[in-house]
Amino acid sequence: MIGGLFIYNHKGEVLISRVYRDDIGRNAVDAFRVNVIHARQQVRSPVTNIARTSFFHVKRSNIWLAAVTKQNVNAAMVFEFLYKMCDVMAAYFGKISEENIKNNFVLIYELLDEILDFGYPQNSETGALKTFITQQGIKSRHQTKEEQSQITSQVTGQIGWRREGIKYRRNELFLDVLESVNLLMSPQGQVLSAHVSGRVVMKSYLSGMPECKFGMNDKIVIEKQGKGTADETSKSGKQSIAVDDCTFHQCVRLSKFDSERSISFIPPDGEFELMRYRTTKDIILPFRVIPLVREVGRTKLEVKVVIKSNFKPSLLAQKIEVRIPTPLNTSGVQVICMKGKAKYKASENAIVWKIKRMAGMKESQISAEIELLPTNDKKKWARPPISMNFEVPFAPSGLKVRYLKVFEPKLNYSDHDVIKWVRYIGRSGIYETRC
Amino acid sequence: MPYLGSEDVVKEVKKALCNPHIQADRLRYRNVIQRVIRYMTQGLDVSGVFMEMVKASATVDIVQKKLVYLYMCTYAPLKPDLALLAINTLCKDCSDPNPMVRGLALRSMCSLRMPGVQEYIQQPILNGLRDKASYVRRVAVLGCAKMHNLHGDSEVDGALVNELYSLLRDQDPIVVVNCLRSLEEILKQEGGVVINKPIAHHLLNRMSKLDQWGQAEVLNFLLRYQPRSEEELFDILNLLDSFLKSSSPGVVMGATKLFLILAKKFPHVQTDVLVRVKGPLLAACSSESRELCFVALCHVRQILHSLPGHFSSHYKKFFCSYSEPHYIKLQKVEVLCELVNDENVQQVLEELRGYCTDVSADFAQAAIFAIGGIARTYTDQCVQILTELLGLRQEHITTVVVQTFRDLVWLCPQCTEAVCQALPGCEENIQDSEGKQALIWLLGVHGERIPNAPYVLEDFVENVKSETFPAVKMELLTALLRLFLSRPAECQDVLGRLLYYCIEEEKDMAVRDRGLFYYRLLLVGIDEVKRILCSPKSDPTLGLLEDPAERPVNCWASDFNTLVPVYGKAHWATISKCQGAERCGPELPKTSSFAASGPLIPEENKERVQELPDSGALTLVPNRQLTADYFEKTWLSLKVAHQQVLPWRGEFHPDTLQMALQVVNIQTIAMSRAGSQPWKAYLSAQDDTGCLFLTELLLEPENSEMQISVKQNEARTETLNSFISVLETVIGTIEEIKS
Repeated sequence: MIGGLFIYNHKGEVLISRVYRDDIGRNAVDAFRVNVIHARQQVRSPVTNIARTSFFHVKRSNIWLAAVTKQNVNAAMVFEFLYKMCDVMAAYFGKISEENIKNNFVLIYELLDEILDFGYPQNSETGALKTFITQQGIKSRHQTKEEQSQITSQVTGQIGWRREGIKYRRNELFLDVLESVNLLMSPQGQVLSAHVSGRVVMKSYLSGMPECKFGMNDKIVIEKQGKGTADETSKSGKQSIAVDDCTFHQCVRLSKFDSERSISFIPPDGEFELMRYRTTKDIILPFRVIPLVREVGRTKLEVKVVIKSNFKPSLLAQKIEVRIPTPLNTSGVQVICMKGKAKYKASENAIVWKIKRMAGMKESQISAEIELLPTNDKKKWARPPISMNFEVPFAPSGLKVRYLKVFEPKLNYSDHDVIKWVRYIGRSGIYETRC
Repeated sequence: MPYLGSEDVVKEVKKALCNPHIQADRLRYRNVIQRVIRYMTQGLDVSGVFMEMVKASATVDIVQKKLVYLYMCTYAPLKPDLALLAINTLCKDCSDPNPMVRGLALRSMCSLRMPGVQEYIQQPILNGLRDKASYVRRVAVLGCAKMHNLHGDSEVDGALVNELYSLLRDQDPIVVVNCLRSLEEILKQEGGVVINKPIAHHLLNRMSKLDQWGQAEVLNFLLRYQPRSEEELFDILNLLDSFLKSSSPGVVMGATKLFLILAKKFPHVQTDVLVRVKGPLLAACSSESRELCFVALCHVRQILHSLPGHFSSHYKKFFCSYSEPHYIKLQKVEVLCELVNDENVQQVLEELRGYCTDVSADFAQAAIFAIGGIARTYTDQCVQILTELLGLRQEHITTVVVQTFRDLVWLCPQCTEAVCQALPGCEENIQDSEGKQALIWLLGVHGERIPNAPYVLEDFVENVKSETFPAVKMELLTALLRLFLSRPAECQDVLGRLLYYCIEEEKDMAVRDRGLFYYRLLLVGIDEVKRILCSPKSDPTLGLLEDPAERPVNCWASDFNTLVPVYGKAHWATISKCQGAERCGPELPKTSSFAASGPLIPEENKERVQELPDSGALTLVPNRQLTADYFEKTWLSLKVAHQQVLPWRGEFHPDTLQMALQVVNIQTIAMSRAGSQPWKAYLSAQDDTGCLFLTELLLEPENSEMQISVKQNEARTETLNSFISVLETVIGTIEEIKS
């Protein structure tokens, strides 16, 4: 149960405050500002207890969102709710920024009124909310009968995520496989830990109540199918992936997944996240970073970093950024790089090397000479890791979409009439190489 | 920022709201209303325009309606009489053909927190429960709980409760979950909503239709269901199986907890469940949502508590990455420290050593303490790493390493030799009190193995005048005396100087007393000193006390998925202890929080006042509204049960007193204006058994005394005494604040 919700800007000014329960006094708003936002030291925990009241906060850019309660609640749930809240707001007005919140504050109050009642989460599906919170409330009295009944059925909905009677002239669907690849590598090039967390996001514009079936190169499924034809097993065995764990949108029939490992569902209208998964084995690491740091005396440092792209030469990686940290007492830096642009950013204590595009199986290198100011600080420089950002047009986990079939028995369109688009994007999560 | 200039602002807004031109232009009108809400958010008191806002609620514009209702819900307790005017509009909206409007009106009406609103909302709520739109039913069901909360007393409307129980079969999933929540609040005093077999199975079957919030809530309610037979138990567990794979970590954890609790007699089932949630938990630990990751890590630690080997093969998942926030790194270090085993110890120590030189001193120190923790099992390797760290000669590292050494020597005496060899030279790099104390203790206790121990202590004695921490001086005294016993020749002179300083020049009484004590002890004779000071130098049994086998899953299963693992058990115990005391008196009522001068009662006093009623067997019931007539009648019909005179000096603020009394649930029925002589006040209060206390306060300034007369409708001396002590304390507290 959530007693109240507050939104602050980075200075601690209250942008939104909504109290749901009597036990949360008005002074709670100030307590959080004073104790957390204005506190000098680092945030020690996302859950703070002030005068027996628990404050759960998340930060989005420089906006603080805090949920307050006096009960012994389920912490994961409260955070999930705050994330959901952020998603809903983002779906309405885009990025969560001070500007946007100030401009939409009426809307936010409306949303807060709707998704929480007496501190209990109610309907929070963006799709459902959008049918009745529109910011054009003036229409309310003059709504047609049909519209009204639509809202009612939406609000009542047996299937909470989809309403009846959706119609599109063109039946179309988009599948995005979005992955973020995380790596922690030792200076010697040994992988300390690596994992891919991925999401399959679907945008569906389909008429009626379509039944969908999604298939991917899941190792368990392929091995099961391959039992009959030994030939296929050996062929596809390489291409299949082992998913460590996966979770699905509410619409997926879990019982079917458990028994036959098939993913079937009636999709919500519009965009939603079909599944979320994680893999740790056989990850294709798109880049390798080879660092070489040499200390020349006490006032000079030589750094050489080589990056190697490790994927098909026909593919192009984009938005590559390598961040090489420099010591605090750096006085000057000379950089030479073969490709892209590199700059020393004194405010961030790092050399930032940017490359717009890079094909697979290539390598590139940067070398830098760092001049240091002599200091009497005995503290050794801790050598933070070199981090990387990039975007590649394939799935580093190796996941492939095998099919997505659509059946709608009542309306007369078949699987062939649906236009389908599939896209793979791999992004860097925390991609660090120690040096 | 808040409060300032609020009068001008209110005036200006009022003018705008009354302006007929603005009223005619819908958009401009709405804009002004938005401004009012914005001021309200910023903390300005805009209750002055209540009347105008009520007028604005009569509109067809739904957004405007919502804004006005939001405003009314906030300020209704301040302007109850004006709020009653709005009820008419609200009631009309409750029968609007549009379900949205009906729901909105009902929700707002139930949220008006003011006395006397119950009689107006009862009928709309009952209608709402039978509304054909589920949207309205959802609102109405929670409305029941709100109405009950307003009532305050423990009267439970049986018919309403039955109606709610029958609504558990509603076809809308949110209505079902809201019913559970509502019943839970209404029946709080009787132990909450009852989950019997039909209800439990009904809920289990509906689970898949609920959204994640509903699922988490239902899982929580199911905890109190006891399956009749083993067969039923396993049926339920089978039904719940799929929720262990839910996409929402909250639901996964909720399901895990339910599994653990239901299977409390089957340890193998519990272990099996914990194995199966390993995947989801690890996923949450490496998720991008940092706060969730933090919560998951806390729970991982909880599991490791009973099953130390549970995550050992996944130790690499808990390696810290540079860009992670501080709180996650600290948790991960703790986890690493707990999952260490023979296979991974090398790698884990390697990793932790890397953290010890981190730029954040906090994090570095946490890593060193973690190595110290591991050292209890893998002593040699760890002591070697710690010794190497001393070579860095950095203050924040050295001090923590020495502290770790002190704890280690106490628990694992076998490493004493290695520690003693590492110590020389440390004293140059220690500045803080904790570190100095640790070093001095080590030098004192194990000084006979450290060649230069007396000389290091001598340096400390030389500088004792500039030493700022008394604790260090105390430690120094004890250490030097101990060392004197084993190496008298080298220490005698120094000890003499130190004792002289402590007794003659030291200003801190505790240090001086300790010095005197040792001096007199020495006079008694060396044997006596030995008897008192030569305590054991280590206690290896302490390290073995915490045996994981004695921490079964069941001892924390009920804390799983609550705030307990997040805060830590000890911290939670202090928080919940305070909460127990607080239950007797609710938070300061709303009215006080708008007062421009801030809270009238300082925080610490408030706590004292609130904890007091708990001391006796007396619980005063809040919000007991007694009419003046009824009070007068009762007052006249009763005899004075107790009369007492309290001293009272100086200024007097009736408002403060009234506020303070309200905190302990004593209502003021009537009182004279401030400054009138003699000053009188009539108070009433009721305890949970229905016993009434009526009180008269009489203040006559010339003899500076407050006379208290109490009447009671049932003659019971114990409760009377505790009531009087509560009253005394409140008056005493006010007196203190004043002076």
